[in-house]
Amino acid sequence: MRPSRTSYPLSWRLMDALEAIAAAVWPRSFSAAVPWLMLLPAVVLVGLLVLGLWDMADGSFRTLDTATFLPSDDYSLTNYHRAFTEKLFFTVASRSLIGSLIVTAVTLIFAFPYSYVMVRTRSTVLRKFLLIALFLPFFIGQVVRAYGWLIILGSQGMVNEALGLVGVSPIRLLYNYPAVLFGLVQYMLPFAVLMLAPALTAIPEEMESAAGSLGANWVRTFIHVVLPLAKPGFIGAGLVVMTLSLTDFAIPAILGGGSQDFIANAIYDQFFRTSDQGMGATLALLLVAVGSIMVGVVFALFGAGTLAIGRSK
Amino acid sequence: MTETMAADAPFAVSVRGVNMVFDGVHAVRDATFDLEKGRFLTILGPSGSGKTTLLRMIAGFGRPTSGEVFINGLAVGSVPPHKRSIGMVFQKLALFPHMTAAENVAFPLKMRRFDARSIPDRVQRYLDLVKLGKLGDRRIHELSGGQQQRVAIARALVFEPDLLLLDEPLAALDRKLREEMQLEFRRIQRELDVTTINVTHDQREALVVSDEIIVMDHGRIQQKARPEATYRQPKNAFVANFIGVTNFIEGAVASIDGEKIVFDRPGFAGRVGNGFRPAAGAAARGALRAEQIRIGSGREALGDVDTIFDGTVTDAIFEGERVVYEVSVKDLGETPLRVFDHDPVTHNQHDIGSSVALGWNVKDVLVFGD
Repeated sequence: MRPSRTSYPLSWRLMDALEAIAAAVWPRSFSAAVPWLMLLPAVVLVGLLVLGLWDMADGSFRTLDTATFLPSDDYSLTNYHRAFTEKLFFTVASRSLIGSLIVTAVTLIFAFPYSYVMVRTRSTVLRKFLLIALFLPFFIGQVVRAYGWLIILGSQGMVNEALGLVGVSPIRLLYNYPAVLFGLVQYMLPFAVLMLAPALTAIPEEMESAAGSLGANWVRTFIHVVLPLAKPGFIGAGLVVMTLSLTDFAIPAILGGGSQDFIANAIYDQFFRTSDQGMGATLALLLVAVGSIMVGVVFALFGAGTLAIGRSK
Repeated sequence: MTETMAADAPFAVSVRGVNMVFDGVHAVRDATFDLEKGRFLTILGPSGSGKTTLLRMIAGFGRPTSGEVFINGLAVGSVPPHKRSIGMVFQKLALFPHMTAAENVAFPLKMRRFDARSIPDRVQRYLDLVKLGKLGDRRIHELSGGQQQRVAIARALVFEPDLLLLDEPLAALDRKLREEMQLEFRRIQRELDVTTINVTHDQREALVVSDEIIVMDHGRIQQKARPEATYRQPKNAFVANFIGVTNFIEGAVASIDGEKIVFDRPGFAGRVGNGFRPAAGAAARGALRAEQIRIGSGREALGDVDTIFDGTVTDAIFEGERVVYEVSVKDLGETPLRVFDHDPVTHNQHDIGSSVALGWNVKDVLVFGD
């Protein structure tokens, strides 16, 4: 009888060929260096980031010379002083901070039932639909999506036209704080769902059955069992949503129409409108610092959640 | 009215004509049985026999497609699990990892709104019952497999449910621990006198722990009987095959003489099993337990038996306390007969290839039609 074709699959033959080439190019005696070599690209990329940060740190101590429009040669803390005292920066910073917290809370509340249904449904059709609905917005991109909201929510947009049909005069739905927060929640939802889903998958369904047989209705099962067990997912999702919305640029710019700037918009203005690179660098570094502190506080209070990596103890 | 009905109801559980169909699979077919209060029932069957589906319907997870489950005489079809008085030990235990052992045990008391002041004492009493009195403050992952089993039992019993359900909780344990826990289940069940339904595929466990055994296959209840009766008077060939090691000898009926059914294989006969009285010429199978067969190097070594055949040893498996021989008997078909030899003096005396004599009594051969 002829041996089965799958007893030595084609992919194995391909791997054999690749291994032969690798052995010729890279002698076996060098093999100890291979893991380090593979690490190199990532190290270079992170290293460049550090270089850039260092450069910005240097720039942040130089003020803009209004006569030459060049950064000064001498160092001073003027930029930092301005960042903490000028009302504009305080407004922008608190707007972004409070906004990111509200967006995080609302997104988590919306994302939980979505992930729960996606993970627990017995219908594969529903699960696929929910997954596709989740990934589709990723293909569209943030700017295009924000313009989509302009079309829908504008003064002559679909919503106002529909309101007009029932005799309601047009309402200003855009260029205000709620519009920006709405856009951010809509943008962040897939991230949160994707971070929550693995945490919910990790909770055995038997846990919920057990809570039921022990006398808990679904509300108490949710509060006493599902929520505590899903905590790592909430932390992971919350951190991702919080940092992404704190640093977001496109949605405050487009849906805020210049009146609802977040920190990233202020940084952009400093770099590309007023050409004050020193001030821009200062704001950027402060943003990095604030974001890191917030993440650090969450880690200290609740642990790293699903973002915890390394060998489990 | 219903109150008195519940109090007077003779059966803790009654299952009436229950069917369960999901995704086109008929998982449970026309299941009907009664269970008296305080009894330990085991539902035994291979995987896919519908035993877990039946248990889950009694627990309230999944409503029967048709038929009805009664608990203490009351139909519970529309009662959700958290409103039934049922303690359940799950296959993977489903202990809450974010709580200590004591918190796990206290959880059902809190959910069922027991008086908060009475909870600590009651939790301790049940931890003592399962011999975990000092380990209440341990987290679940700090306990061994056996200790986790005990927490799960305490949690299922602490609120004094009418019914305890065990969904194969011992399946994942190693053999020694499993046997220890079987006896623990038995002890606790007797101590509290709680009606218990256990699901397992382990025939030994079923025989050891139960007052009654239901054998299931392909969604149907094959037999409900006491352990001895299940073993000694299996109702059909499936039950005879599933419990114990059974040889089947296929043939046709030559003649019937009262209880005795003579086969067309010369010298082979059996007795009527389960009322099966075939006509002459009908196909039939004789079921013969491996331990009912005596083995010896010659016919004179067999003692007082009324059936004797000669055979050749094809395999000898040493299992410690016994040797399992496979003996090919030319006159009884292709399949070799399996024979246990427990005799510490003679066992392991027959080499592969040697000629032996096998002997048994006609009354030990049960004849089935299927």
